[in-house]
Amino acid sequence: MAKTYDYLFKLLLIGDSGVGKTCLLFRFSEDAFNTTFISTIGIDFKIRTIELDGKKIKLQIWDTAGQERFRTITTAYYRGAMGIMLVYDITNEKSFDNIKNWIRNIEEHASSDVERMILGNKCDMNEKRQVSKEKGEKLAIDYGIKFLETSAKSSINVEEAFFTLARDIMTKLNRKMNDNSSSGAGGPVKITENRSKKSSFFRCTLL
Amino acid sequence: MAAPGAGMEALVCARGRNRKAVLCQRCGSRVLQPGAATLARRQLFLPSMKKKTALAESGSPDGDVLQDHWLVDDMFSFENIGFTKDVGNIKFLICADCEIGPIGWHCLDDKKSFYVALDRVSHE
Repeated sequence: MAKTYDYLFKLLLIGDSGVGKTCLLFRFSEDAFNTTFISTIGIDFKIRTIELDGKKIKLQIWDTAGQERFRTITTAYYRGAMGIMLVYDITNEKSFDNIKNWIRNIEEHASSDVERMILGNKCDMNEKRQVSKEKGEKLAIDYGIKFLETSAKSSINVEEAFFTLARDIMTKLNRKMNDNSSSGAGGPVKITENRSKKSSFFRCTLL
Repeated sequence: MAAPGAGMEALVCARGRNRKAVLCQRCGSRVLQPGAATLARRQLFLPSMKKKTALAESGSPDGDVLQDHWLVDDMFSFENIGFTKDVGNIKFLICADCEIGPIGWHCLDDKKSFYVALDRVSHE
């Protein structure tokens, strides 16, 4: 059958264990229904379809699911990744401090032009907050990465986060295609129009 | 091939494709667009979707052998779907939103076959 989508992006969720990465795997329903069977074997990845500017985008989203505890996240996991969500828990300072280590890990192992985004998760738990929003924003500015506070539990900004990352990847791809429009690039990406270049850093930090 | 049973006509078009969208029975998450899959008959065992799956004495889970499936040959034909980790050479398919499942089956030996059981989804 003919392809029914315009783009296909592989995204990764990275961060310390316990920061809620698995919940960020686009869980929009209030209560997940994990059967004993499913929670025992675990989830590998999900495919989500979103629409951006009239383009159909398939997101393949991978969770490190425990590998991070062993610091074994290496090149194999990063292969082909076009976007990475760096996730910390706003109620856990250590997970925030570790974002820098994760960024270093990405720089070592991932493709140099991978799009990144920092997420401060669990922002519904304000009473237990250890990391201020300003601190998160500051870190993001230092690295030139976008930032959002999210709550997978309350569905705050989760969708926005994935849309933002997908849009940034799309913008980058389109720019690349325009830059070397002479080369007949293959692959799953089909460009049908030029897009105005927007670099709107920190446009989406509002809760 | 056996003729589709009564009631199947509402779901399957003349070319063997799904007339209706395939949705999660529990949360309504969209799994397949109309026309994205073909009907396939194959006996596949899927573990139970009940919350507490009683383990049989052998340690293997409860479940059903199901015969009617929607088949796609590309995982990106799915609108929304989750893949479990490998169980032997099988990956089970689950709802991407509420994670109920297994709703389908994929064998790593056949990279071009992804099955979703008709009995485990709803149609709209």
